[in-house]
Amino acid sequence: LQFTRPRKRRALVSLTPLIDVVFILLVFFMLVSQFADWRTIRLDAPTEAGDGASLRGAVLVRLHAGGLDVNGRAVASGRLERHLRRALGEGGPARVLVQPGEGVSLQRAVRVLDIATAAGAGDVKLLEGRR
Amino acid sequence: MKFVQRRERPEPETMIPLINVVFLLLIFFMIAGAIAKAPPFEWQAPDSRSESPPGRSALVVHVAADGRLALNGEPAKLDALASAVAGRADSAAPVQIKADAQVAARRVMAVMAHLRDAGVEKIRLFTRKRGGG
Repeated sequence: LQFTRPRKRRALVSLTPLIDVVFILLVFFMLVSQFADWRTIRLDAPTEAGDGASLRGAVLVRLHAGGLDVNGRAVASGRLERHLRRALGEGGPARVLVQPGEGVSLQRAVRVLDIATAAGAGDVKLLEGRR
Repeated sequence: MKFVQRRERPEPETMIPLINVVFLLLIFFMIAGAIAKAPPFEWQAPDSRSESPPGRSALVVHVAADGRLALNGEPAKLDALASAVAGRADSAAPVQIKADAQVAARRVMAVMAHLRDAGVEKIRLFTRKRGGG
Protein backbone atom coordinates (compact mmCIF):
# COMPACT_ATOMS: atom_id res chain seq x y z
CA LEU A 1 0.00 0.00 0.00
CA GLN A 2 1.40 3.26 -0.97
CA PHE A 3 0.27 6.73 -0.03
CA THR A 4 1.01 9.69 -2.09
CA ARG A 5 3.52 11.69 -0.20
CA PRO A 6 2.48 15.27 0.38
CA ARG A 7 4.57 17.30 -1.92
CA LYS A 8 6.87 19.73 -0.19
CA ARG A 9 6.17 23.36 -0.83
CA ARG A 10 9.01 25.13 -2.40
CA ALA A 11 9.92 28.58 -1.15
CA LEU A 12 9.64 31.01 -3.98
CA VAL A 13 12.53 33.11 -2.73
CA SER A 14 15.42 31.77 -0.80
CA LEU A 15 15.47 33.09 2.74
CA THR A 16 19.23 33.31 3.17
CA PRO A 17 19.84 36.65 1.37
CA LEU A 18 16.89 38.14 3.23
CA ILE A 19 18.37 37.11 6.54
CA ASP A 20 21.72 38.54 5.53
CA VAL A 21 20.21 41.88 4.68
CA VAL A 22 18.16 42.01 7.85
CA PHE A 23 21.23 41.18 9.93
CA ILE A 24 23.22 43.92 8.29
CA LEU A 25 20.41 46.41 8.91
CA LEU A 26 20.22 45.25 12.51
CA VAL A 27 23.94 45.74 13.05
CA PHE A 28 23.77 49.15 11.40
CA PHE A 29 20.98 50.40 13.62
CA MET A 30 22.59 48.92 16.74
CA LEU A 31 25.82 50.79 16.05
CA VAL A 32 24.27 54.07 14.99
CA SER A 33 21.53 54.42 17.61
CA GLN A 34 22.07 56.40 20.77
CA PHE A 35 20.26 55.71 23.99
CA ALA A 36 21.84 58.42 26.13
CA ASP A 37 19.56 59.96 28.73
CA TRP A 38 19.81 63.56 27.57
CA ARG A 39 18.71 66.57 29.52
CA THR A 40 19.04 70.22 28.64
CA ILE A 41 19.55 73.50 30.43
CA ARG A 42 17.76 76.58 29.18
CA LEU A 43 20.41 79.09 28.39
CA ASP A 44 18.91 81.98 26.63
CA ALA A 45 21.46 84.27 25.06
CA PRO A 46 23.99 85.51 27.60
CA THR A 47 23.59 88.90 29.15
CA GLU A 48 26.34 91.32 28.37
CA ALA A 49 27.99 93.10 31.22
CA GLY A 50 26.86 96.69 30.94
CA ASP A 51 23.23 95.83 30.24
CA GLY A 52 22.30 97.72 33.39
CA ALA A 53 18.59 97.09 33.72
CA SER A 54 18.88 93.33 33.89
CA LEU A 55 21.68 93.40 36.42
CA ARG A 56 19.95 95.39 39.12
CA GLY A 57 18.93 93.38 42.14
CA ALA A 58 20.55 90.19 41.00
CA VAL A 59 22.97 88.00 42.87
CA LEU A 60 26.28 87.82 41.04
CA VAL A 61 28.34 84.65 41.29
CA ARG A 62 31.80 84.99 39.81
CA LEU A 63 33.85 81.91 39.08
CA HIS A 64 37.62 82.02 38.95
CA ALA A 65 40.12 79.30 38.30
CA GLY A 66 40.72 79.03 42.05
CA GLY A 67 37.35 79.65 43.67
CA LEU A 68 34.22 81.71 43.50
CA ASP A 69 32.63 84.73 45.07
CA VAL A 70 29.06 85.81 45.66
CA ASN A 71 28.46 89.53 45.30
CA GLY A 72 32.15 90.08 45.78
CA ARG A 73 32.56 87.94 48.91
CA ALA A 74 34.64 84.82 48.54
CA VAL A 75 32.67 81.67 49.34
CA ALA A 76 33.77 78.06 49.58
CA SER A 77 32.09 76.09 46.81
CA GLY A 78 30.59 73.67 49.35
CA ARG A 79 28.72 76.52 51.01
CA LEU A 80 27.49 78.17 47.84
CA GLU A 81 23.97 76.81 48.09
CA ARG A 82 23.50 78.08 51.66
CA HIS A 83 24.89 81.47 50.74
CA LEU A 84 22.62 81.74 47.73
CA ARG A 85 19.57 80.71 49.77
CA ARG A 86 20.33 83.45 52.24
CA ALA A 87 20.98 86.02 49.53
CA LEU A 88 17.81 85.09 47.68
CA GLY A 89 15.72 84.84 50.81
CA GLU A 90 16.01 88.55 51.51
CA GLY A 91 13.03 89.27 49.37
CA GLY A 92 14.88 90.44 46.31
CA PRO A 93 14.21 89.06 42.87
CA ALA A 94 15.28 85.46 42.60
CA ARG A 95 17.77 86.19 39.91
CA VAL A 96 21.29 84.82 39.79
CA LEU A 97 23.95 85.79 37.29
CA VAL A 98 26.86 83.43 36.85
CA GLN A 99 30.03 84.89 35.40
CA PRO A 100 32.67 82.28 34.57
CA GLY A 101 36.19 83.61 34.42
CA GLU A 102 39.25 82.51 32.54
CA GLY A 103 40.13 78.85 32.97
CA VAL A 104 36.73 77.71 34.29
CA SER A 105 35.45 74.54 32.70
CA LEU A 106 31.92 74.21 31.45
CA GLN A 107 31.32 71.44 33.97
CA ARG A 108 32.01 73.84 36.83
CA ALA A 109 29.75 76.49 35.37
CA VAL A 110 26.97 73.94 34.89
CA ARG A 111 27.37 72.76 38.48
CA VAL A 112 26.97 76.33 39.73
CA LEU A 113 23.89 76.77 37.54
CA ASP A 114 22.46 73.62 39.15
CA ILE A 115 23.22 74.89 42.64
CA ALA A 116 21.62 78.25 41.90
CA THR A 117 18.49 76.55 40.61
CA ALA A 118 18.40 74.28 43.64
CA ALA A 119 18.75 77.32 45.92
CA GLY A 120 15.50 78.66 44.55
CA ALA A 121 16.59 81.07 41.87
CA GLY A 122 13.92 81.33 39.23
CA ASP A 123 16.07 83.10 36.71
CA VAL A 124 19.64 81.91 36.30
CA LYS A 125 21.69 83.46 33.54
CA LEU A 126 25.22 83.27 32.35
CA LEU A 127 26.92 86.62 32.26
CA GLU A 128 29.76 87.40 29.92
CA GLY A 129 32.83 88.76 31.60
CA ARG A 130 35.09 91.42 30.27
CA ARG A 131 37.39 90.18 27.58
CA MET B 1 29.94 3.47 -7.74
CA LYS B 2 28.33 5.06 -4.80
CA PHE B 3 28.48 8.66 -3.81
CA VAL B 4 28.04 9.82 -0.32
CA GLN B 5 24.63 11.23 -0.15
CA ARG B 6 24.55 14.90 0.55
CA ARG B 7 23.10 15.79 3.83
CA GLU B 8 19.82 17.50 3.55
CA ARG B 9 19.75 21.20 4.36
CA PRO B 10 17.90 22.17 7.49
CA GLU B 11 14.28 22.86 6.98
CA PRO B 12 13.53 26.51 6.30
CA GLU B 13 10.80 26.35 8.94
CA THR B 14 13.40 26.25 11.71
CA MET B 15 14.78 29.56 10.49
CA ILE B 16 11.50 31.41 10.70
CA PRO B 17 11.51 32.04 14.49
CA LEU B 18 15.06 33.36 14.18
CA ILE B 19 14.03 35.73 11.43
CA ASN B 20 11.08 36.88 13.49
CA VAL B 21 13.29 37.70 16.44
CA VAL B 22 15.83 39.51 14.29
CA PHE B 23 13.07 41.51 12.66
CA LEU B 24 11.69 42.51 16.05
CA LEU B 25 15.16 43.60 17.19
CA LEU B 26 15.58 45.57 13.99
CA ILE B 27 12.29 47.37 14.46
CA PHE B 28 13.13 48.05 18.11
CA PHE B 29 16.45 49.67 17.25
CA MET B 30 14.96 51.64 14.40
CA ILE B 31 12.24 53.12 16.60
CA ALA B 32 13.98 53.44 19.96
CA GLY B 33 17.37 54.63 18.85
CA ALA B 34 17.86 58.18 17.71
CA ILE B 35 20.29 58.66 14.91
CA ALA B 36 22.40 61.69 15.64
CA LYS B 37 24.73 63.58 13.40
CA ALA B 38 28.13 62.96 14.87
CA PRO B 39 30.71 65.72 14.99
CA PRO B 40 34.27 65.00 13.84
CA PHE B 41 35.49 64.79 17.43
CA GLU B 42 34.68 63.08 20.69
CA TRP B 43 32.75 64.97 23.31
CA GLN B 44 31.35 64.23 26.74
CA ALA B 45 28.36 66.20 27.97
CA PRO B 46 28.56 67.81 31.41
CA ASP B 47 26.61 66.27 34.29
CA SER B 48 23.67 68.19 35.62
CA ARG B 49 20.64 67.87 37.84
CA SER B 50 18.47 69.54 35.23
CA GLU B 51 15.34 67.64 34.27
CA SER B 52 14.23 69.42 31.12
CA PRO B 53 13.94 66.98 28.25
CA PRO B 54 15.66 67.79 24.98
CA GLY B 55 13.38 68.94 22.23
CA ARG B 56 13.98 68.76 18.54
CA SER B 57 16.09 71.23 16.70
CA ALA B 58 17.41 71.67 13.21
CA LEU B 59 20.56 73.40 14.43
CA VAL B 60 23.09 71.69 16.65
CA VAL B 61 26.42 73.26 17.56
CA HIS B 62 29.07 70.91 18.93
CA VAL B 63 31.97 72.23 20.97
CA ALA B 64 35.01 69.99 21.51
CA ALA B 65 37.14 69.97 24.64
CA ASP B 66 39.83 71.95 22.82
CA GLY B 67 37.34 74.51 21.54
CA ARG B 68 36.80 73.25 18.00
CA LEU B 69 33.29 73.78 16.68
CA ALA B 70 30.94 71.86 14.44
CA LEU B 71 27.59 72.97 13.09
CA ASN B 72 25.26 70.04 12.38
CA GLY B 73 28.25 67.72 12.26
CA GLU B 74 30.34 69.81 9.86
CA PRO B 75 33.44 71.59 11.16
CA ALA B 76 32.88 75.31 11.52
CA LYS B 77 34.75 78.41 12.55
CA LEU B 78 33.53 80.72 15.26
CA ASP B 79 33.55 83.77 13.00
CA ALA B 80 31.61 81.97 10.30
CA LEU B 81 29.05 80.61 12.75
CA ALA B 82 26.80 83.65 12.77
CA SER B 83 26.48 83.81 9.00
CA ALA B 84 25.97 80.06 8.75
CA VAL B 85 23.21 80.15 11.34
CA ALA B 86 21.56 83.37 10.23
CA GLY B 87 19.95 81.87 7.17
CA ARG B 88 18.66 78.79 8.94
CA ALA B 89 17.70 80.03 12.38
CA ASP B 90 14.06 79.59 13.18
CA SER B 91 13.19 81.90 16.05
CA ALA B 92 10.66 79.42 17.43
CA ALA B 93 13.03 76.44 17.60
CA PRO B 94 15.94 76.56 20.00
CA VAL B 95 19.51 76.00 18.91
CA GLN B 96 21.12 73.09 20.72
CA ILE B 97 24.66 73.33 22.05
CA LYS B 98 26.42 70.05 22.74
CA ALA B 99 29.58 71.10 24.48
CA ASP B 100 32.25 69.02 26.15
CA ALA B 101 32.34 69.20 29.93
CA GLN B 102 36.00 70.19 29.95
CA VAL B 103 35.85 73.05 27.47
CA ALA B 104 36.34 76.55 28.87
CA ALA B 105 33.00 78.07 29.81
CA ARG B 106 34.16 81.27 28.12
CA ARG B 107 34.37 79.45 24.82
CA VAL B 108 30.76 78.29 25.06
CA MET B 109 29.69 81.79 25.97
CA ALA B 110 31.49 83.16 22.93
CA VAL B 111 29.51 80.67 20.82
CA MET B 112 26.32 81.83 22.51
CA ALA B 113 27.20 85.46 21.84
CA HIS B 114 27.73 84.72 18.16
CA LEU B 115 24.43 82.87 18.03
CA ARG B 116 22.72 85.85 19.59
CA ASP B 117 24.28 88.09 16.96
CA ALA B 118 22.73 85.81 14.37
CA GLY B 119 19.30 86.39 15.90
CA VAL B 120 18.99 83.22 17.96
CA GLU B 121 17.06 83.76 21.17
CA LYS B 122 16.58 80.28 22.59
CA ILE B 123 19.56 78.11 23.39
CA ARG B 124 19.60 74.71 25.04
CA LEU B 125 22.76 73.27 26.50
CA PHE B 126 22.90 69.48 26.46
CA THR B 127 23.75 67.73 29.71
CA ARG B 128 23.56 64.22 31.04
CA LYS B 129 21.68 63.20 34.09
CA ARG B 130 24.06 62.74 36.95
CA GLY B 131 24.76 59.28 38.34
CA GLY B 132 21.61 57.57 37.10
CA GLY B 133 19.53 59.07 39.89
